[in-house]
Order: sequence, then C-alpha cells, then structure tokens
Amino acid sequence: MKLMRGYIAAVDTFNGGVGRVMTYGIFAMMGILLWSIISKFGDQPSLWTLEAAQFAMVAYFILGGPYALQMGSHVRMDLFYDDWSLRRKAVTDAITVLCLLVYLIVLLWGAIGSTAYSLGYFGSDAIGFFIGLISGAEEPGTLERSRTIWRPYMWPIKVLLCVGIVMMLMQAISELFKDLLRIRGEVI
Amino acid sequence: MSYEMIALLMFASMMVLLFSGQRVFGAIGFVAVVAALLLWGERGGFDIAFAQTIKVMRWYPLLTVPMFVFMGYIMSESGIANDLYRMFHVWMGGISGGLAIGTIGLMVLISAMNGLSVAGMAIGATIALPELLRRGYDKRMVTGVVQAGSSLGILVPPSVVLVLYAMIARQPVGQLWLAGVVPGLMMAAMFVIYIALRCKLNPTLGPVLPEQERKIPKAEKYRLLWSGLLPLLIFFSMMVPFVKGWTSLVESSAIGAIAAFSAAVFKGRMTWKVFDTSLKNTLGITCMFMWIILAALAFGAVFDGLGAVKAIESLFTEKLGLSPWMILILMQLSFIAMGTFLDDTAMLVIVAPLYIPLVGSLGFDLIWYGVLYTITTQVAYMTPPFGYNLFLMRAMSPPEISLSDIYRSIIPFVLVMILALTLVMVFPQIALWLPETVYGK
Repeated sequence: MKLMRGYIAAVDTFNGGVGRVMTYGIFAMMGILLWSIISKFGDQPSLWTLEAAQFAMVAYFILGGPYALQMGSHVRMDLFYDDWSLRRKAVTDAITVLCLLVYLIVLLWGAIGSTAYSLGYFGSDAIGFFIGLISGAEEPGTLERSRTIWRPYMWPIKVLLCVGIVMMLMQAISELFKDLLRIRGEVI
Repeated sequence: MSYEMIALLMFASMMVLLFSGQRVFGAIGFVAVVAALLLWGERGGFDIAFAQTIKVMRWYPLLTVPMFVFMGYIMSESGIANDLYRMFHVWMGGISGGLAIGTIGLMVLISAMNGLSVAGMAIGATIALPELLRRGYDKRMVTGVVQAGSSLGILVPPSVVLVLYAMIARQPVGQLWLAGVVPGLMMAAMFVIYIALRCKLNPTLGPVLPEQERKIPKAEKYRLLWSGLLPLLIFFSMMVPFVKGWTSLVESSAIGAIAAFSAAVFKGRMTWKVFDTSLKNTLGITCMFMWIILAALAFGAVFDGLGAVKAIESLFTEKLGLSPWMILILMQLSFIAMGTFLDDTAMLVIVAPLYIPLVGSLGFDLIWYGVLYTITTQVAYMTPPFGYNLFLMRAMSPPEISLSDIYRSIIPFVLVMILALTLVMVFPQIALWLPETVYGK
C-alpha cells in the first residue's frame, strides 16, 4: 500500500509539473503563428513556422495528456457511470483501465519502432538497436528528415512522442492504483 | 468471418466498453488496436495506432482547436459576455419577448467567438437565464431559448466540430465553415420569429421591462452598444484576413485567440484566476480532443482496411434496394437515436468513419452534408428523454427549473430546427451558396 501511494504521489507530481508547464504551450503556438503572419509582410515568408507549430501542438497534447488524465478531463460516456457508487466506479475502472493500458502499450510499441527508423535503423529489433546505441555497439544510420523545404530531423519529435506515451502509461497505472486503493475503502 | 461481421463485432465491443464508463479514447483505441493485431498480425497491427499520431501532426487545421477552445474560455471566464448581455438587455428590453430575442442575439455573437456549443450554454444558463426568470419570463420558454441558442455554437464559424468533420471527411475546413454561416443565421432568425410570434400571442410569456428599468442615460446605452461591437471586431479581425487569403485558417485562429486575450486584458478582466483557469481548461479539453482523434483515426483506419464501407453500401443499395435519399434520411434518424446516449465528439468519432464515406459514395456533396450533420446532431442532443444537452442544461441551470421543464421547453425549438434542417436538405444552396461565391467553383 505504501508503495502504491508513493508511486501515485511521485507520478502525479511529475506529470502534473510537466502538464503545468505545457499549459503555457498555447502561447508558444500563438507566437509561432504570429511570426508566420508577420514574416509574410517581409521579403520572404518563413518556411519553418508551419512545421514548428505542428511540433509545438504535438508536444502540447502528448506531454499535457497525462495531466489531463489526472484532472479527469478525458470524457467518459456517463449515462450509467454517473449513477454508480464510488466503489462500483472504482471496480469497473480498475478492470477497464486495462484496455487503456493495452492501447497505450501498442501505441508505444509503434512509437519505438518509428523512432528507431528515424535514427536510421530499418530492422525489426528496435529495442535491441536502442540498447546497442547506449552501449555503443550500434551507430545511428541515415537520419530521417521531414519531406518539406525546411527538412527538420524527425527524431526529436519522435523521442518526445515516446516520452509522452510513457508518461501517459505511468499516469494510467497511477489511476489504476487509485482505484485499487478506493476499492479497499481508503480515501484518496 | 465476413468483413461485415468483423465490422459489427468491432462496433458492438466498442459500445459495451463505452457503456462501462471507461474514457472514450481508451475504449475506442483498445478495440482498434486489438482488431488490427488480430487482422494483420505483428507488424501492421503495431504500426496502425502510432501512424495516426503522425497523421494528426501533419493535419494543419487541427491547430485551430486549442486556439478556439482558448478563446471560448477567455470569454466565459473573463466575463466579457456579461457586457454583451447588458447590451441586449438595454436595447431590446422595450419589446415584448425582447430579452429572449436578445438572448438569441447573444448566442450568435458568442458562437462567432468560439467553436463549441458548451460555452454558449454555460454563458446562457448562468448569465441570461437568471435575469430572464427574474423579469417574469416564462421559464419553459427561456430554457428552450438558451438550449436552442447554444446549438448555434458549432454551426456559426469558428466551429471545432466542423474541423473534426473536415478531417474525417477530407474536406476543406474553410468551405465547411462558410457553409455553416447562412444556415446558422437562418436558424437564429427562425428562433427569433418564433419567439416574437409567441410573445405577441401571449404577452405574459415575455413581459416588457418596466419603465424605470429602461430609463438609462443615452451615454450608457451607447457605451454598451460599443461593447457589443467587440465580439464582431474579434470575429472580423479573424475572418477577413482568412477570406481575403492574407492568412491561412490556422494563422487566423491565432489572431482570434490573441485578439480575445488582448480584449480581456484591455478591459481589465484578466485576473490571475481567469488566466490560470483558462489555460488549464484549454489544455484539458484540447488533450481530450486530440487523444480521441488519435484513437478514432486508428479505428477508422482499421475500418478502411476492412473495406467495410463498401460492404455496407452494397447491403443498402443492392440487397435492400433503397434509394440514396432514403438511406440519407435513415442515417439522419439514426443520429437521433444515438444522440440520446453519446456526446458530440463520441458521436462524430463513431459515426463518421462509416457514414461519411457512404454519403460520399452515394453521390452527395460532403460540404452540404457537414451542415446537415451538424444540425442533426444538435437536434439529437436535445431530444428527450435522453440527450446530452438536456443533462448539461439541468446541471447548469438554476434549481427552480426541473428536468421536466427542460423536456417540455425544448419541443417547439426542436420543431423549428427540424424545419431548418428540411429547408437545408431541400435547398442545398442555403449552405453551398456562400462557399461557392467566396471560393468560386
């Protein structure tokens, strides 16, 4: 129990902190788009704003997602759910949250594969490649670039996606622990 | 197993999971990835979920979502809307039913500044409703007014629902938005006519304001009129550069967000609390939207892969021998059934991958259908006994309004909306005229 509580506190603090910072991301997006408009009046419109804004938005919702999960912003269909007792909600959630975990794990698996690709690894053992990368046994190959005029490298955003999905997984597990504690009749 | 069966099984398991009350994106995403893994095994099955992330990233108009959500929160949190209400109050109070008509006007202005119907309903229920009740307006009529008015939120641009629709239907957002303008204003006008007629026949429903309340100095009256111009100013600062082609849609949405934010700061309404709440809620709503889209796109991709749409189309046209129009009307009716237990994002997500390609392959215009879709879903959320908006309204309105009041209040307005819907169906030009004129066909 203590372990669970410790985990919940640690994950919620971390994700909450990252989420609070991400709320300001809306101004980053506004700034980039504003610059995009301003640069049109100059000699040459900027080429990077469109993609940069897209990256900013991905960061916004991937890194902010766990915080939203924590705040309970993700909608549920509450036709029946709303009338249930706290305990019944907790029991149902503790079971169905496994579906959410399956979805996130598959998402993460795809993200890891795609990140390895962006670092120039085209095989099927993405995890082995990353282990090799850390131990020095593997070298990054041809780095993937976006097919636009700006041609940014793709790996930073994909790494960010992996991090965000892992955070989301941690938060989902934290929610599961909260439900388990609630089932035992503890107050969260 | 035939593809129809797989498709059916996917729908059924998704519905069961949704009813369990798990977060919508988790339920949809789970069904999508499990189906993908079972169908296509390790490689393709694993990639399909993540591939949608890249698709979302590349889909530029989605950037408008956080911008418009932010605008909506700035408006409802900072209380800019209070001044708007006062304006209608002062200028329309003199006529019978004037405040109710003014509330529709308020809703139109609010719709022009945000993309969701919830914000309009929140403002209507918390600002306008108590005032109207205090002035002796009939409670059944005014609850109906607020609900009907808030439905304009997703029809009058900017509209977040139409952005999502555009993504799934692969149609240009700009044209869809312009297509919503005329039907939205037409519907607002029909509401106004209805209110005016009813109050003319029975003046006790909407009494004229007493003399002393209407005696307001001229200067004050004009100051308030100025505050009513503010939303229009924001709206045009956003729409004119876009329609003129100076800025892209997304850039315009940023202008709108900056304009709304500056207006709140300029009016001294941007306290720390307003700022903080708006930022937090914007993040919450945007994340909810984005994660649902991610999951829904994965679901849609599996469906595409199955070729389920073709199978269902042939079932309707060949095996059952229905004409395209009959199928269209059946689809509209099915919305009403689904709207009783689904909210707008969930409904779009579930219905869109199946219905939109079907409508397209039947030969209907998808821009026109976007408008039909939007009005129909709004009708669906308001039809008793279950409707998403009905419960929302119950949660937001003052305690003296019971659920049965809400049920009864909505009937005439739903009829008006159905009339509007029929008009748009019979005369597609109501929706298509503006986008065709602006973009030239």
